Amino acid sequence: MSECKIIFTGPVGAGKTSAIRTISDIEPISTDELATDMTRNKKPGTTVALDYGLIKLQADERIHLYGTPGQERFDFMWEILTQGGIGLILLISNQRPDPFQDMHFFIEAFKSFLHENNLVIGVTQMDLNDHPSIADYHLQLESSGYKIPVFEVDARNRRDVGLLVEALLFTLDPGLDE
Amino acid sequence: MTASPLKPKRLAAIGMDQRQRNALRVLFASQCQNRFVLVEEESSEICILDLDVFGGERLWQEFRQRHSQRPLILVSLKPRTIDNELTLFVQKPIPVARLIDAIEQQVLRLDPNSSVLTECPPAPDTPVETDPCIVPDTQPTVGKPAAVTRRVANLMSETQERAFVGTAPDIDPQDPRQLARVYYNPDHYLQGHIQQALNLAVRYHKNVSVEGPWPAMDLMIDSRTLLIDANERQIRPFCTVPDTTLEVPLRVHDHHHPDSGRQGYPVTAFLWQLALWASRGRLPAGTSLTQPIYLRHWPNFTRLQVTPHALAIAALWAKQPRSLIDTARGLQIPQRYVFAFYSAAKALQLAGETRRAVDTLIAPAAVRRSARRGVLIRLLDHLRGHRKTP
Repeated sequence: MSECKIIFTGPVGAGKTSAIRTISDIEPISTDELATDMTRNKKPGTTVALDYGLIKLQADERIHLYGTPGQERFDFMWEILTQGGIGLILLISNQRPDPFQDMHFFIEAFKSFLHENNLVIGVTQMDLNDHPSIADYHLQLESSGYKIPVFEVDARNRRDVGLLVEALLFTLDPGLDE
Repeated sequence: MTASPLKPKRLAAIGMDQRQRNALRVLFASQCQNRFVLVEEESSEICILDLDVFGGERLWQEFRQRHSQRPLILVSLKPRTIDNELTLFVQKPIPVARLIDAIEQQVLRLDPNSSVLTECPPAPDTPVETDPCIVPDTQPTVGKPAAVTRRVANLMSETQERAFVGTAPDIDPQDPRQLARVYYNPDHYLQGHIQQALNLAVRYHKNVSVEGPWPAMDLMIDSRTLLIDANERQIRPFCTVPDTTLEVPLRVHDHHHPDSGRQGYPVTAFLWQLALWASRGRLPAGTSLTQPIYLRHWPNFTRLQVTPHALAIAALWAKQPRSLIDTARGLQIPQRYVFAFYSAAKALQLAGETRRAVDTLIAPAAVRRSARRGVLIRLLDHLRGHRKTP
């Protein structure tokens, strides 16, 4: 059986659960419960251990979609989740107080994974707050040596999330359309 | 004779909520072959205590009063020096290996002869915390269809593709007659006038009216939108037919049109589309076919018309500048797709010809082929098939 894994990460409320739901072929397993701590005001339900979705390609071929827990204290979970992953999709909410800080935090947290794998970024909730702009994100990333896809996304929109995953695939192999 | 499997070590998590406990369960199951199991404090052999929880210090003191000899692992964001041989400290963020190492050290402390490398564990004789939320690795499928037939140029309909990319065959760059057919002048189209208006608006930070035979257009600098008294279908004829004689006055102003009721288009997406309509698979006049092309950064594709192969071209140029001809050759695609993408990216000042000598000295690398190309292609097809679904 051929298995691949794509990891969705980002801060609480960035849309990881929604993004997985949007492209999963199964009803995603969202291990949500009512938030009881610091995340209470961010999102009515906050991911417990992880989110899980699945894309079935052929009878014996699956793409596993994992969403990291939203709390930074579960960082050791991230390390487990990324093992065998083909790439990382980082969702950043423009509604958060400091989206750049979030972005740098997650890039740093997954630094070792990103040495060997690729990253794409989806910026969510730009309809509610259009600053920083996508160009601003690129400027920030450029200073860190990254030239990667950064798209405005609605995590509930299949085209948006699909394009983000497509971009990840083309960064892995630009010749996929041959 | 088979070795008798050892019982899993019983760990308790103190000061941790359900989420943290679930994370530990996943860790034990996925990384530790279930050699450890999460139980309540009373029946535990080793405890992990989160000092960062409210009242964490007090929890620690109370724990030691209850269990003076029980091995403990403290975790906290703040570094600590622990003066107690039964207590280990792991600083957050917690690396998997560090936490497992700490647990194994405590297991050895409990029983110096024990080995943590046990066989598959039996069911524990202590009630184990269970949680229905632990995620299985596979689930039955519901609803959606399986993979669909591969289609390369399926991001837009054939009609759209003709409108945006045209149907021109590849040219021989050595043939001057063929070469002449591949260029267009953006200034002879609405594209050029909107580009000038945008430059003017940015330079003076003012709104700009673009006056001409088309419906009224105003570029609003603060919102970066173009207000137009028409829909896309009404505008298109002005975007595809060149006019070499037209004088287009651009009027800078501070007026706002909050109640105009006009359609508002994001100016970058509009300009991108104008460039595709005008270009139809051609290039802005004067573009070199052999000079390497750089991509300043990826276009915001989710808010733009995505022409066939555009993501592949962007991925290639993001890695290394490469000439237009070499891009088509490397990706094995018709030149018009490369030319159309370049024209649109150039209109947004995202792409251009490199001026550095080093870029022409270094031959572009071959297109990297992933060892997983097969599965990546099938995933791509799957995503594109689904995108056609409303």
